[in-house]
Amino acid sequence: MIASRTRSRAESSGGLSRRDLLRAALVGAGGVALGGALAGCATPSAAGAGKTPVMIWDLFSGGDGALMQEMVGAVASANPDIAVASTTLAWGPPYYTKLAMASSGGRPPEAAVMHMSRLAGYAPGGLLEPFDLDALAELGIGEEHFAPAVWEKAQYDGQLYALPLDTHPYIVFHNPKIIQDAGLALPDGKLDLDAVAGADNFLAAGRSLAEITGETGVGWGYQRDPAGCWRMFWGLYSQNGGGYELTPGRPAELDEEAAAEVFEFLQAMVDGTVAAKNQDGNAAAARFMSERTGMMFAGEWDLPMFRDALPDVGATPFPAIFDTPANYADSHAFVLPRQGTPDPAAREATYRVLAGLLKEGLTWASAGHIPAYQPIVEEPAYQELTPQRDYAPAAEVAVFDPDAWFTGGGSDFQTRMADAMTDTLAGKAPARTAVTRMLSEMDRFLSQPNPA
Amino acid sequence: MAVADIAEVRRTKALQERAENRTLTRLTIGPSPWARAGALAALAVLAGIWLVPLVWGAVTSFKHEAEAALPASLLPTMGWTLDAYQKVLGSSDLLLWMWNSLVVAVLVTVITVLISAMAAFAFSQTLFRGRAVMQWLTLAAIMMPGQILIVPLFREMQVLGLVDTFAGIVLPQVVAPVMVFILKRFFDAIPRELLDAARIDGAGSWRLFWTIVLPLSRSILVAVAIFVFIGAWNNFLWPFIVTTDPQFMTLPVGLSTVKDAYGVQYAQNMASAMIAALPLLILFMLFQRRIVQGVATTGMGGQ
Amino acid sequence: MTVSNPGVSAPLERALPGRPASASRPGTRAEPARKSMRERDRSGYLFVAPFAVATGLFLVVPTLYGLWMSFTNQSLTGTGSEFIGFANYVEAFSDPQVWQTLWHTVWFTILSTIPLVFVALVMALLVHTGLPGQWVWRMSFFAPYLLTSAVVWHLSNWMFQPDIGLLDTWMTGLGLQPLGWLTDENVAMFSIAGVTVWWTVGFNFLLYLAALQGIPAQQYEAATIDGAGGWRRLFSITLPQLRTITGVIVVLQLLASLKVFDQIYMLTAGGPNGSTRPILEYIYDTGFTNYRLGYASAISYVFFALILVFTLVRLLPARKEA
Repeated sequence: MIASRTRSRAESSGGLSRRDLLRAALVGAGGVALGGALAGCATPSAAGAGKTPVMIWDLFSGGDGALMQEMVGAVASANPDIAVASTTLAWGPPYYTKLAMASSGGRPPEAAVMHMSRLAGYAPGGLLEPFDLDALAELGIGEEHFAPAVWEKAQYDGQLYALPLDTHPYIVFHNPKIIQDAGLALPDGKLDLDAVAGADNFLAAGRSLAEITGETGVGWGYQRDPAGCWRMFWGLYSQNGGGYELTPGRPAELDEEAAAEVFEFLQAMVDGTVAAKNQDGNAAAARFMSERTGMMFAGEWDLPMFRDALPDVGATPFPAIFDTPANYADSHAFVLPRQGTPDPAAREATYRVLAGLLKEGLTWASAGHIPAYQPIVEEPAYQELTPQRDYAPAAEVAVFDPDAWFTGGGSDFQTRMADAMTDTLAGKAPARTAVTRMLSEMDRFLSQPNPA
Repeated sequence: MAVADIAEVRRTKALQERAENRTLTRLTIGPSPWARAGALAALAVLAGIWLVPLVWGAVTSFKHEAEAALPASLLPTMGWTLDAYQKVLGSSDLLLWMWNSLVVAVLVTVITVLISAMAAFAFSQTLFRGRAVMQWLTLAAIMMPGQILIVPLFREMQVLGLVDTFAGIVLPQVVAPVMVFILKRFFDAIPRELLDAARIDGAGSWRLFWTIVLPLSRSILVAVAIFVFIGAWNNFLWPFIVTTDPQFMTLPVGLSTVKDAYGVQYAQNMASAMIAALPLLILFMLFQRRIVQGVATTGMGGQ
Repeated sequence: MTVSNPGVSAPLERALPGRPASASRPGTRAEPARKSMRERDRSGYLFVAPFAVATGLFLVVPTLYGLWMSFTNQSLTGTGSEFIGFANYVEAFSDPQVWQTLWHTVWFTILSTIPLVFVALVMALLVHTGLPGQWVWRMSFFAPYLLTSAVVWHLSNWMFQPDIGLLDTWMTGLGLQPLGWLTDENVAMFSIAGVTVWWTVGFNFLLYLAALQGIPAQQYEAATIDGAGGWRRLFSITLPQLRTITGVIVVLQLLASLKVFDQIYMLTAGGPNGSTRPILEYIYDTGFTNYRLGYASAISYVFFALILVFTLVRLLPARKEA
């Protein structure tokens, strides 16, 4: 356990590592009590003498984290000369804060996962290093393996700063049995997207689901989940044809009418019957998994967790509540935090590990994500994954976060936007209030200099 | 001492204590059985409120994960299990962080007590130019809340290359001017005849300090040490700022920064909370009297 | 430092075998005889050196360095360390977030200090009755204080969990509406204060208990002979003796509560809608999450100035007393 999840900087210099000492001490001291636990988790990826340590940070605290561990394990056994380890840090602003502090502290992990939408806030500040395209090409990875739009998003200032890992849309899961009983299923048992298209249809569907479950119809946890609020809003706003204008130094512009309609819909949904009031993500997930709600808005990355509880859980793209086809999504990518003392050997090992991880994309796909590395997507094995293939069309109409240095997954911006929505979602303020508050928060961001 | 003797001493002590408590009861609330029952009931209710979160956390940690996510029932209906503990111990760095916390807390305690005692001795028993100024500076330092220094201190640690090192976590925590004054007050009270006699015998300051002052002050040193140890073990903000590498994180930092369970895992959360809570709770049960005294003495010294 | 309390020093003396009954205060001058012995001792420098070095490096240097940073636009990414004069301070004074988070800090301090003193007093008075179960009572009241903040977070997060947490389950069981313990702006700070009381009241409880044990038994004996009942003894003997220690506890508590960070950062991260964000978290967010080290330093100094004023104000009356 200790061995597989941590690394020691002493290893590269050949000394006895702190971890080895610690393990010895722990086994010695707590041997009687803990012997079993320690023995049970000593894995082959344990760093030995002469191995190059490569540490990767990620923020996969959902069910996908376990699969990332699995991929790291696979890459580790394929590269016996590298001691690969990964650590999952708490999602959101804390993760990005720690990453920035580590990079500025000079001893960051060799690689880290980042939302592509955060690149604009990181790359200009010198916290990241660009990828060497030749070195990637040697490992069989190049522009031709990625969708052009994704490759384009990974660039900053003409250089590649992010190695795209996936696209992850915000979708809707369903419990096949409950939607069947509510009459919302197609003959093949999948959710009938036409039956839930349009705000009124959707709300009616939610009520009929609630009748079946006896509690609520649709799960959406928006409390204490700024990102969830923002994903929901931005996806729906895009469906409603809303555009934006975020230019530093100028007032923010949104289609206020379109935004207000979105909030009117959300207020109608969070009525205690269609969706629970005052619910957070954990509680919503717990309800869905214990079959007390029939559908659930969530990121596709929750698939492994849901499937543990509901083996036949289904999933589809986000329902068409409004007219414009759109589905909120973001993209995970690997980045290289700037090292205080760059080590060519570690760098070379890191490239090999990252290439290996991209090629483990099939495992990543089973976590729910749509791999960015196209050769995986084209494999028949991927084409057969369910329910992944059922929501794959979401990627075709993906809308990403607005372009600005302060936006993106797990950013302070998302927190502020969610805060601005709180009163409206709780029914304490009209729909317009949320829009006004969001605009004024956006103005505040636009008036600040980009600190990076 | 034979085992029987120790048992005898304990029994006498317990009897003595019981007698003292009875006197106290008589003195404070008098003989009325109603008053006693009322006070006991109030105590029981308060203790109940204070124990519920701990007990419920403990029970949850022995539940199956599937059940932990259902609306609360106090006792498990699906049977007791050690699953959560097995998973937590098997997949997280909990033991590593606990070890780090122990190392950090011990280092902070030893260094703090030592340098504070030395400074207190200097202020109390020696004269040197600038002593008054130093004492005033120390007094002023008490007013500087370390918490507001996180920004420049982090920058300083970067410059010194101490981010993600034990030195970086420990050293800023050893500055405890309050402790210097608490110790000085006790050193001031050491009978001066004792020290003068030793000086006449030719003992240097170093020997005075180690052979007379420290042994005479054992109980206050223990009190200070307990206080500093609890503080360092539980300190969150500074270790949180100065560690980014999970390998160097202390218990509270690791628990709140690193995710070791994926998805919603209530039973596992409770299991790690219980494991993390255990060391100090056990220490407290073993040394209750000492700790109570230590906290009370030192805490009041902070006045 | 200059507050003295006869009720408190008694147990201290008991804790210290061989210690004379009267301890001199920090400022007390030693008599000439002692001075002459000490005068020959010039080794004080060496004894004070380690402490002085540590204080210099980790208190004085960062204090001055931070002051300088507050006049620059330094960023966490390493860019920008130009001198920009008072720009950061000007911004801080006009930044509504500074005043809001400062108010949250004060509001938390008020909400937590009152019960932290009152509940601790009640607990200590009840335990001091000497009723059976002393060990259990002390353990229950003090145990939470020994928990590290992350454990408190796990436990309370689980209690407050919407829908399936213990508190909401009880509320629904009693036929009440579940409360947004951490999600309702009007409730969250109360929840956090409640957790804080549960967590740290044990410390004040011990201080009160120690003070109670210092009240001489003769006073009670005399009162009993005079026929004073239990309540009468409480109000005429016990409580008056606790006045000084209460002052001490209040001040210690105020200073501790003003520095709140851990539990709020973990439980709500300042939400909902920024309604629980204390100023220390704003400093952290500004400096580290948003990279603006210079501006964060300026906010720190504004906060420091306020604490300093507060400390001096409370020190002055104490000085007069002594």
